[in-house]
Amino acid sequence: MKELKICHLYGDLLNTYGDNGSLLVLQWRARQKGFNVSTELVSIDEHFDSDAYDIVFLGGGQDYEQYVISKDIQNKKDSITRYIENGGVFIGICGGFQLLGHYYTTASGKKIDGISALNHYTLNQVNNRFIGDITIIDKETGEKYEGYENHNGRTFLGEGVGPLGEVELGFGNNGEDKTEGARYKNVFCSYLHGPLLVRNVHLADRIIDIAYSQQSK
Amino acid sequence: MNFKSFIAATAGKTARLSLKLLGRTGGSYPGVLALKINPDILKDLAKDYEVILITGTNGKTLTTALSVSLLKEKYPNLLTNPSGSNMIQGIVSAFLSHKVPKNEKKIAVLEVDEAYLVKIVSYLKPKAIVTTNLFRDQMDRFGEIYTVYNKILEGIELSPETTIIANGDAPIFNSANFSNPRVYFGFSNQEEGDMRAHYNTDNVLCPKCEKILNYKYISYANLGKYFCKNCGFERPQLNYSLTSIDELSLESSSFHIDGHPFKINVAGLYNIYNALAAYSVGRFMGLSIDEITSGFSKAQRVFGRQELIDIDDKKVLINLIKNPVGLNQVLDLITIQGDPCSLIVLLNDNYADGRDVSWIWDGQFEKLGEMDIKSVKVGGIRRKEMKFRLQVANFNEDEIMTLDEISDVIPAIKEAPTKYVHILATYTAMLQLRKELSQHGYVKGEID
Repeated sequence: MKELKICHLYGDLLNTYGDNGSLLVLQWRARQKGFNVSTELVSIDEHFDSDAYDIVFLGGGQDYEQYVISKDIQNKKDSITRYIENGGVFIGICGGFQLLGHYYTTASGKKIDGISALNHYTLNQVNNRFIGDITIIDKETGEKYEGYENHNGRTFLGEGVGPLGEVELGFGNNGEDKTEGARYKNVFCSYLHGPLLVRNVHLADRIIDIAYSQQSK
Repeated sequence: MNFKSFIAATAGKTARLSLKLLGRTGGSYPGVLALKINPDILKDLAKDYEVILITGTNGKTLTTALSVSLLKEKYPNLLTNPSGSNMIQGIVSAFLSHKVPKNEKKIAVLEVDEAYLVKIVSYLKPKAIVTTNLFRDQMDRFGEIYTVYNKILEGIELSPETTIIANGDAPIFNSANFSNPRVYFGFSNQEEGDMRAHYNTDNVLCPKCEKILNYKYISYANLGKYFCKNCGFERPQLNYSLTSIDELSLESSSFHIDGHPFKINVAGLYNIYNALAAYSVGRFMGLSIDEITSGFSKAQRVFGRQELIDIDDKKVLINLIKNPVGLNQVLDLITIQGDPCSLIVLLNDNYADGRDVSWIWDGQFEKLGEMDIKSVKVGGIRRKEMKFRLQVANFNEDEIMTLDEISDVIPAIKEAPTKYVHILATYTAMLQLRKELSQHGYVKGEID
C-alpha cells in the first residue's frame, strides 16, 4: 500500500482558526486516493527528522505560543531548511508562513526571528488587521483559491520566492502588492484560513500528488 | 443614594413598570435608561449586597443557575440576572427590579461576560468571583485567551479582598500572582497516569517555564491534574473535590463531592464542573450539605442550553454548540447513549453564532463513528460546510441529507428512523428551532 507520512509540526501549539481542518482534509483525501496515512506530532524540545516525512504542516497560533515556538524552532532550523531544499512538501499557514521567513513583527512591535528558510519578512500594522473574505488566482495553474484572512502582519516576499496567488479580492500578504502567500520549491505558504484546504480541496489534491511524486526522487 | 442615582433608579423602575403594563419584559431597557442618567448607578444599587460574580468561557450560565438554586435554600429572594443579560445594562436592570423582605440578607449572584467583569468590579466589591474555565471562543469576537484572562485579572486586582473561587483543573487560573484569597475546586476521581492533552487543545504550555504540560489525568480539554516535568509547576491543593462520577445519562448526572452523593437533572460531564463550582459557592456562603442536596434536586436545565423534549414518540435532545470545547463535550454526551439514534446538526453564521465557522474543524466529529447513527441531516445557513465536515469525519456524501429550511426540522424529527434524535444547533439556529417548536406547541415560551 502507498504510504503518506505527515508531520504536524508544533500541532499541539499552533492550531487556531480551525487550521486543523486543513490537516483533516489532507488525511481524508490521501486515504481516498489509496494512501495509508500516518501523522506524527513534532513539538518543542523534539527532533525534526528531515528524511522522515512526505508532507510537513505548520499552522498558525496565538501570539504567546508563536513566541515560544520562535525560540524552539531555531533548534530545528537546519533540519527544516535541509528538508525544504531537498524538495520536501511543506505547508505553512499564517504564523507558520511567517516563521519560515527572516523575521516577523508582532502587533505590539516586537521583532521575532524566523528561520530564514524562505526569503521573506513580516512587518506589523498599528491598530489594524486584514480581516475578511479573500480570493486569489494561482498563476502557475490558473486555479482559484478562496478563504478568510485575519492577520496583523504584512509580509513582503524577496527574490527567489513567488506568491501562492495574485489577490483578486481581499488584502493578501501586505495590502499593497497583490501577492498572497509564498511558493518556493515544494513549499506552500498562505494567510488563508477558512481553512485553506477545506475551502480548496483541489489544492490539497495537488499537494498530495507532489508529495507522492517526490517519493520516487 | 445621591439625587442623580435616585432619579436614574426611578426612571429605570418606571420604564420597567410601564413595559410590564404593556405586557413586555423590557429586557435590559430599564438598565440602559438608568445608565444614561447616571453611568455610575450600579455603585449605589449594589451597595448593601453581598455579590458573587460568575465568569468564564463555558458554563457560566449553568453555574449561575445552580448556585442560585443552592443559595435559594437559605436566601429565597436573592437577586440574579437572566441568562444572556450578562453585560452592564442587563445587570443594572436586574438590580432595578429586585425586592427583598426587610429581614433577609441581600445577596446577588450574577453571570458576567468575561470582557465586562472589570467594569462591574469597578462599581461593586464582590464577595467572590467564580472563574469556570477559559477556552478559545469565537476569536473574531473575543480575541486570544491570554487577552481575556488579563482582562479578568484587571478585575480581580481592583478588589483584593474578593475571594477567587477558581477551577483548579485549569492551568491558566494558577498562572498569575495576586494577593486575593483563593479557593480551588477540581476533579479527584481518576486513577493517576502520565498523559498529554489531545493535540488540538489550546493553552497547554506551562505558564512558568513554557514547556508542554503533562497530566496525571484529564477530565476534558486542558482540564485535569496537570504538572510540569520541567519546573514542577502543578495543580494547586483543592478545597473542594469531585470524588466520583457514579452515573451519566441523557437525563441526569450522579456524583460525589467531598464524599457526599449528589444528583442533578442536567446531563454531561462538563456540567458536573458547573455543579462543583456551585457547590463551592454554596459552601463558601455557609450552606449545609443538606441544603446543597436539596438545592441541586430542584435545579432545572437551563433554558436554551440543553433540552430534552418529546415529539410524538421521539425523544429529542437539543444541545447548543458554540465553540470547539463545548462541541466536543456535547459529542461526548451524546455518545453516552448507546441506543441507535438520528443526528441533526444546524449551523448558522450570524453575529451571535460567530461569523467565522471554521471552528467546526476543531470539533471532534470523528467521535460520531463510535455511535450507531441511523440518519444524519444538516441544516442552517452554513449547511453545505457542515455537510463537508461530516464527510471528512467519514460519513458518505449520499447518506447526509440537507434541510433547506428550519421549518423542515420538525418533519425530519417525526420521520426519524430511531426513537432518539440528537440535535446540535448554534445559538441563532437554536432560537429559530425553538420558535418552530413553540408554534407547534412542543415547548412553552421563548428565549428573550
